[in-house]
Amino acid sequence: MTYTQKTPWTLIIGIIMLAFGYMVQAGVLDPLIHMLHTSKYVGKPGAPGEMIMMPFVCGIIAIVVGLWQMAVKPKEGNLDYYLSTVGGVMFILLIAFFVKWGFDPLMHAWGKAAEGAMKDAKLDWAFDFAKVMNLNYVVMGILAGIIVVNVFKVPDWAANGVRLSRLGLKTGVILLGVLYSWGELANLAGLSIILIAVFVLGSVGMVLWMGARRNIPNSMGGVLSAGMGVCGVSATVASAPVVNAKSTEIAYTIGTILLWGVLMMFIFPIVGKAMGMNPTQFGAWAGTGILNSAQVAGAALAFEPNGIDTLKVAEIFNITRILFLPIIVLWLAVWYVKRESTGEKVELSKVIFAKFPLFVLGFIVMFVLGSTGMFAPEHHYKGKYFDNSDKVMTETKDGKVKSKLLKDDQVALLKAELDKVQEADRKVALQNLIDNKKVMSIEDDVKIRGITNAKVLSKEATHVLKESHKAVYHTAPKIGKFRNLIAWFFTFGLIGLGMQITMASIKQAGGHPLIIGSVVGSVKAIGALVVVLLFVKEIV
Amino acid sequence: MLKVKHILLASHDTDGAHAAEKLAYTFCNTDTILHHLIVVPDFWKGTMGDDWLNNASTRETFGNYLESQLEQEVRAHIKRMLQETGQSKITYEYEIVQGKPTECLITCAAKGPVDLIVMGSHRPKAKTGLNSRMLDDSIFREIHVPLLVAPYPHD
Repeated sequence: MTYTQKTPWTLIIGIIMLAFGYMVQAGVLDPLIHMLHTSKYVGKPGAPGEMIMMPFVCGIIAIVVGLWQMAVKPKEGNLDYYLSTVGGVMFILLIAFFVKWGFDPLMHAWGKAAEGAMKDAKLDWAFDFAKVMNLNYVVMGILAGIIVVNVFKVPDWAANGVRLSRLGLKTGVILLGVLYSWGELANLAGLSIILIAVFVLGSVGMVLWMGARRNIPNSMGGVLSAGMGVCGVSATVASAPVVNAKSTEIAYTIGTILLWGVLMMFIFPIVGKAMGMNPTQFGAWAGTGILNSAQVAGAALAFEPNGIDTLKVAEIFNITRILFLPIIVLWLAVWYVKRESTGEKVELSKVIFAKFPLFVLGFIVMFVLGSTGMFAPEHHYKGKYFDNSDKVMTETKDGKVKSKLLKDDQVALLKAELDKVQEADRKVALQNLIDNKKVMSIEDDVKIRGITNAKVLSKEATHVLKESHKAVYHTAPKIGKFRNLIAWFFTFGLIGLGMQITMASIKQAGGHPLIIGSVVGSVKAIGALVVVLLFVKEIV
Repeated sequence: MLKVKHILLASHDTDGAHAAEKLAYTFCNTDTILHHLIVVPDFWKGTMGDDWLNNASTRETFGNYLESQLEQEVRAHIKRMLQETGQSKITYEYEIVQGKPTECLITCAAKGPVDLIVMGSHRPKAKTGLNSRMLDDSIFREIHVPLLVAPYPHD
């Protein structure tokens, strides 16, 4: 069997990309770029940005493969399969280009214009709809994927590439491993294990209990509990064969999970922003409360599209969930065998081996490599390294020298509020900052961040502390590139996953699963929100 | 009374479809051929939705499991139909296709020969079941033979 289809579309997409890259480089699109405020993506002469590099690189690949697809008769084999994915990958990337560099800034501009118009009309409730509804490139990319599959249908020549989006997300998670420090990972892992253990086991138990009360078959209770409790569709796929779920039960469960997942992906970021949650709180809430794992990543990027702090927290929760999956599958297998004669006994080692997510190993390897200082100087914090030397504390811009040291009025403000700090070690660190007008060590910075997070000083003084932290922490160039790459992998993966969410599947939501799923999904979302707001205060 | 030699029965083992089967039998006589169309809806293709955490072996296990489940359900349905039509001495043949139910029915009717199409009505809202409607407006525009819709068996 050969996979490559004779289609001109890969070539056409390549030509469009190349033409776009050329027009950006030649300045033909300058008025549009200026209007949309996207010049940061264009780069500088000699250092082209992603808006030039990506279309050129992808365009050339698409043209070469497109020509090969048109001219050469494919032969069976791995090469044929890999080349058959290129069309779909480029199709997704083309959508990503339009969404990230076109619709995202356009919505941003329209949102501001609408807010201005409302203010002009003296409306008290004037708001920026793009900001409130988080209409950024991640959300719009997923929506674009959902629209493509449900309105136009994914073209046959793109199907293999669309399936590759799973690999895109897994690669994104693996690369994300570089950006964690030991301290962060230890804190987040502890937090996620506690929250996931409580909420996963709680929701699995709640579904089984409700299922028994409503007299639903054990097979339906089993598959629904895994889907609702662990990681949505992925858990349903993993557990359905173990509990001998009927086809209708699978359809009901997946329909319910997809419906809830898509709704929550839009609702969570709106609520999170309205409640003023920080990245750690939102990542922890989304990672615990959203049923489906794909939408956890989507919600995290929707909450913070221009940074990955929230994504980092949310993905640790996703990884913890998937590590819980073999345990839950085993539990359900034992539970089902006890209740049904048709249930088959499963072997512990077989289940763990078959269900173990290999990409988590990749994540761990990248984390270990990252912590050796291969990508960023050792002891980096969130991918940034400490440097308070005179060289970096002064900046020359347009011939003017700008100092990052504290100004006299800022020093005076901190001096006036010094007594508000109770802990002795934090007070010493703040005194050091006041005396030297800059943070003097990594240890001092940790204490200063502690004061910031505790919010004991006034807003103005807290702002000064944040600025003084920023002045001594610098993003390593490799880390900056990694961040951008990771964001692209997730964008690619989420648009592709959007193309796999069909309305026909969502329409199957109904019956007992919809009732039980709605109750358990709501309890889980609200419960996780309360727990996170009460116990997760610190920015990790 | 309409004389029919070729009846196209569209049914996929729901309560409404059972009513359609019973209604179709009443039109059958010794020289009638009852052609049973079973559609496996194409939404099953999207069953794995946006799963991305599982590895290939888990996905393959699930795919094989679901296929065997659907096959078992269709086989059980055909077995029952063979028994019922055998007892009533009705000439029975079946066809299994995958796709959009309405499109499959229109294609099958166009292929012919068909004198009458019998199918079940929409499931009432309170009843549970798969959401995969075969009866929609396009059928009325596309088919060229009489269509008989069995009322839903509310009792």
